[in-house]
Amino acid sequence: MEKSKKTVTLQSVIFALIYGATYLPAVWLLKHHVFAQPVSIIIAIVPVITFSIFIFKYIKAIAVMDEVKQRIQFEAVVIGFSLTAMLMMVLFLLSLCGISSPGWFGYSYLLCYCWLFYFIGWLISIRKYGL
Amino acid sequence: MKNTIKVERAKKNWTQADLAKHIGVSRQGLNSIETGKFIPSTLLALRMAKVFDTTVEVLFQLDDTEA
Repeated sequence: MEKSKKTVTLQSVIFALIYGATYLPAVWLLKHHVFAQPVSIIIAIVPVITFSIFIFKYIKAIAVMDEVKQRIQFEAVVIGFSLTAMLMMVLFLLSLCGISSPGWFGYSYLLCYCWLFYFIGWLISIRKYGL
Repeated sequence: MKNTIKVERAKKNWTQADLAKHIGVSRQGLNSIETGKFIPSTLLALRMAKVFDTTVEVLFQLDDTEA
């Protein structure tokens, strides 16, 4: 049982890495090369597929975690989601005021901020529960 | 909330890892419960009471401020 829990958790980490390994080259290819639109769409879809598999594995991993670890993940996701939503709201309101900086807060950066906020939430939570 | 997990564990001469294995949580998770940082679910509290052959009330008590 303990071994299968570790396997499921490891699978989610592996698929997170696979997602990263497909997302970054896809962004690089789409930014630096010009492809026909169908090819571009196929390149864009690959990280979406790997991300979907990662989310599926992550949810499966959470389901087999003990309740302390489940709470930590739950709080990390809540903090990550809340901070991302707040950032998007602030950016939207600033854009209405005519202040925006796509160089720092474009879609690709928002994704990085989302992950950053998740890890901030995770750190807060593991400190709170002394893990 | 106070608990007597450490006392009950000492009676059985169990380490945190031993108890964690019996109730199906990680050792770090059990440490978090034992130090009062995490309040366990009813299911886990009952499992703990069962392995110690005692009751939940003996293992967990409300603080004076919580009562």
